Order: sequence, then C-alpha cells, then structure tokens
Amino acid sequence: MLRWKYSRPLLALLLALLALAPILGANPLSRPGLQQTMAVAFIWGGLALTYDLLFGFTGLLSFGHALYFATGVYVSCILINYNVVVWWLAALISIAASALLALLVGAASLRTSGITFAMVTLAFGEAGHVIIQRNFFNLTGGENGIALNADRIPSFFISVANTKFIYWAALAALIFTYAVIWWVTESSAGRVFAALRDNELRVQVLGLNTQRYKLLAFVISAALAALLGAVMLIAAGSAAPRFADAGVTISLLLMVVLGGAVTRWGAVIGGIFYSIATTRMQDLTQQESFKTIPKWIGGPIAEPALVLGLLFIFVVMFAPGGLSGAYYRLRLRAITKKSQ
Amino acid sequence: METFILIGITGIGLGALYFLVASGLSLIYGLMGVLNFAHGGFLTVGAFVGFWVASKTGFETSMSEFILAMLVGGLAAGLFALLIEQLLITRLYDRHIDQALVTVGVSLVVGAVLGGWFGNDLRMFPAPLWFLTAIDVGGAKIPADRIVYITTAILLLVGNWAILKFTRIGLIIRAGVENRNMVNALGINVRRAFSTVFFLGGFSAGVGGVLVSVYSNGVSPLIAGTYLIYGFIVVVIGGMGSVPGSFIAAMMIGVIRQFANYYATGLGDFVVVILLAVVLLIRPQGLLGKVRA
Repeated sequence: MLRWKYSRPLLALLLALLALAPILGANPLSRPGLQQTMAVAFIWGGLALTYDLLFGFTGLLSFGHALYFATGVYVSCILINYNVVVWWLAALISIAASALLALLVGAASLRTSGITFAMVTLAFGEAGHVIIQRNFFNLTGGENGIALNADRIPSFFISVANTKFIYWAALAALIFTYAVIWWVTESSAGRVFAALRDNELRVQVLGLNTQRYKLLAFVISAALAALLGAVMLIAAGSAAPRFADAGVTISLLLMVVLGGAVTRWGAVIGGIFYSIATTRMQDLTQQESFKTIPKWIGGPIAEPALVLGLLFIFVVMFAPGGLSGAYYRLRLRAITKKSQ
Repeated sequence: METFILIGITGIGLGALYFLVASGLSLIYGLMGVLNFAHGGFLTVGAFVGFWVASKTGFETSMSEFILAMLVGGLAAGLFALLIEQLLITRLYDRHIDQALVTVGVSLVVGAVLGGWFGNDLRMFPAPLWFLTAIDVGGAKIPADRIVYITTAILLLVGNWAILKFTRIGLIIRAGVENRNMVNALGINVRRAFSTVFFLGGFSAGVGGVLVSVYSNGVSPLIAGTYLIYGFIVVVIGGMGSVPGSFIAAMMIGVIRQFANYYATGLGDFVVVILLAVVLLIRPQGLLGKVRA
C-alpha cells in the first residue's frame, strides 16, 4: 500500500489541533484575521474536492462548476434576507435547488462529451453569471451583489470576536464534504465513475447506463458545492457576482491540478494553498521593498495569476499528478527500494 | 422598419466579431482536438499590438493606418499563437485534456502580464473618425464601424476558404479534420498543418481583437472574456471543425442576441444559451458538424 501507516492517526491529530486551536490560548489561530483567512481557505479546499469528484474521479471536465457554488450563495442569501425560512433551512433549500439545476443542465450538456462538454458547461455557467449580474426582479443586486442581513442569522456568526464560529463552520463543511466524497468514491457507484473516466465504452458494453452515472456524479458535486456556497455566504457576509464568474471554475481546476487529482487530499491541499497564496501575495506586493523592482517586471508579478499560471503550465507539462502525485511517486520508489 | 434594419445589421456586425474568434477555435479543435482557452489571449495580444500601431499614427487615424494596425495586430497574434503551439502544444501530443489545461495557463499568464504592464482600465482606441458617421441603409442610420466588421469577417471567411480549398496545406488540413489518422498513415506530415491552423486562427483572433477593442471603445486585458465564451458557443452550434458552420452560427447568434436584447430587454445572453441547449438536444454535433467516428 502506498498509504503511510501513520497517515490516519496523524490526520485525526491535525484535525483535532485545527479544531481546538482557536480556544487553546495564544497561538496564531486565536487571531480573528487568520481564522477568517483559514475559513475561506477551508471552503476553497472543499470546493476543489467537489471539482475533483467531477474532473479527477469521473473524468468530466466541467467549466461551469461556479454556477452551483453561486446557487448556494445566492439562493440562501435571498431566502434569508426576505425572511422566507430560518437560516439553516435556507441553506438546505439552496442545496436542493442546486441539485435540481445540475440535474437539468447536466441532462442537456451530458449529451456531449469530452471537450464539447467543457464548452457547453462553460456556456451554462456564464449564463448564470449574466443572469446574476442583470439583477432580474431586483433579487440578485446586480454588479454590487447583496449584503446578508445580519439580523436573520444567529448572533454567534456576527462580530469579529465570533470569527471562530465561522472558522468551525467552514472546517465542519470541509470535513463533511470530504466524508461524503470519500464515501461516494469508495462505493460501487464510485467504481463506475472511475471506469467511466478510464474506458467509457467498456462500461457501456457491461450494460450500465453511463449517462445516469455521470449525471449522478454531476448532481452530487453540485449539491456539495452549494453547501460550501452557503457557508461562504456566512464567511463573506454577502453574495457577489464574482462567486459565479468562470474564473472560479478555472481556479478550481488549478487547485486540483496543482494539488493532484484523484487523491482527495491533493485537491484539498491545493485549494487551501491556492486560497492562502492569492491572499498573501496581495499583501506581499503592497510592501515598500516591492516598489523597488522595475515596473515592467514588478507589475506582472503583482498579479497572482502570473505565478499560478506559470506553475500550472509547469505542473501540467512536467509533473502530472501535482503535489500528491509527486508524493506517491516518492513513496513507490521508497517501497520498491526496500523490498529489493 | 428602420429600427428593425438597425438591430439586424448591428447583430450581423456583432456576429462578425464572434466569427473572427470562432473560426480559429473551430479549425484548431477540428484538426487537433485542442480546446484552446489561449484564444482569448491571442485576441488580447492582437488588440494591444494593433493599439500600439494605431496610437503611433498621431491624433487622427486614417483608414489605411487602421487597416495596417489590423494587419500588424493579426500578424503579432498569429506569431504568438505559433510560438505557443511550438513551445507547449506539440509537446503534449494527443493529450487533449492536458493541452486544454496548458492553454488555460497561457491565458492566465497573458492576462497577468498585460494587466501588470497596462492595468485593467480601458484605453481609448484611436479609430478613424469616419467610423462614427452613419450610413443610410433602407432609411436606417447604420454606424459605419458595423460595416467594417462585416466586411472584415467576409474577407477572412473568403480568405480561409481559399486557403483551405486551393492550397496543398489547405487540402491536408481539410483531410486532417476529416480523418487525421488516415492522413498520417499516408505519410503526410500533419504537424505543418497544425502550425498553419494555429497561425491562421491566431491571425483571425488578432484582427478580431482590434475590431473588438473598437467596438468596446478601448483596449484592456479583459476585453476577450465574453467573446471567447461566445466563440465557444458559436463553435458548438456551428459544428466543430466547420468554418462555414461557424459563420452561419455566428451571424445567427449575433442577430438573435441583438433582437432579444431589444424586444425582451437584456435577455439576449439568456436566449443564446437556450438556443445552445436546444441545438444540443436536437443535433449534438452542431449545424454543419459531422458525427465523429
């Protein structure tokens, strides 16, 4: 086995540490600033994992995943602001809405496959982005988005001193997403997903309905993305069109490829790393010492997309499998050396 | 009636811009199976080089100077496309998903470099003043720039068609779109055809970039976004690998979008996506696309 025998106890220890850090006396994670950064990073980690279920495990290259994340953010925000239902029910309804939307969009776009599927999902995703920006019936607030009405969510999610509750909510959402995806990918349906990725024709010959399995993966992934969207709404305090941008899906793709697909933890690490890196890089480029670099080189470096784009090209060309892939290659080499 | 003609011609003008983006995408996909996200980058490079040429000509740009800007912009984008193809795409031969991923990386890098150098604000594109005059077509006052878009698109369509129809490399490209393995088996080097297609696609996108920046009143690293997505929609509706299919689909989408925007305020994009869904359900291979074996 390529898995290190201590990895599970170590993971449990790490999770316990992460969960308890905000109340364990003075440490970096007891500051609300880092708690907020980490909460957002956890959400991105979870989202990258839902994308990995599509792209890595099932082999569906979707460019419209942002649509389901944004559905989670917007539907729960609208339901909470208009006081239709209590906040946790709003989140549940947004998950159901996202699953239904994925069912419809998936049924149409899964008639195509491969690269065409990528284009079609992109088109649907962008349509969602446009609809949000157009502000139909004054629901979505157009370009400015909508602020979450703080009176309608429980008080422990409000004020800076309570950031730790947002942190815990994000961590819980990440663990829940991980557990569901672990369960799905290890189930018999998960085996079919992997078979669809590796050899669709063979699955068809075995008499299985390939469309139905692909649609299942699509809907599960969309529902989990909506859950993370609802948590993002609480973490960000508002619903903004940037959550529906095609750039979100491209970032997810970057996270999965950099972290390594099909390993689950690779996508999560990729998402967390990416989220922290983009936040930190903006702080870094605002420092005085950075201004001494000539503008023709400093300007592009100040854009996080440059470093990430170059890193991405490098990983795709020379290090397929990303971070987790490299780790497993090293493990494999160590094990074969030992057995010789 | 005048409004009808105005919206119709504006729609065709918009369709012409979509076609300039989509023709390259369609050929590149048809021949090599590459989903080229870097196409938006080609468009932006063309727009910036064209902008640089046009702004060298002083306060007022004449028509011939504008044509020069278009040609230089197109050439720069074509060469850039060729560079990307040689440097990255050929190394990932037949790894289609990885090729698409690499082009995503390229588009990010191009956006970051141009954004870092010039900022993301719109810079006024020095277009000929003649573009602002109105031409009378059946009582409707049509802005002259629409005519320029349509003419350019038709010229490029004819040019593409002539290259595909009458040159040897065009023959190889057409054969390659039809059945690449067979062309390879006959001992013909398809790689040269790949490079040609990338250059031609980059050229069209670059010319399109100059026109897009006139249409959207200026250049910025962000202008390509919606056009790339519309380019994808056009390619899917028109059928992969079919340039005439892209032309028909582009015109259709441009016109439908304008009419929907006028008669059902702001619903244009929505109607286009519904159209896409309908086409996929009825004819998944697109209007003029062939079913892949």
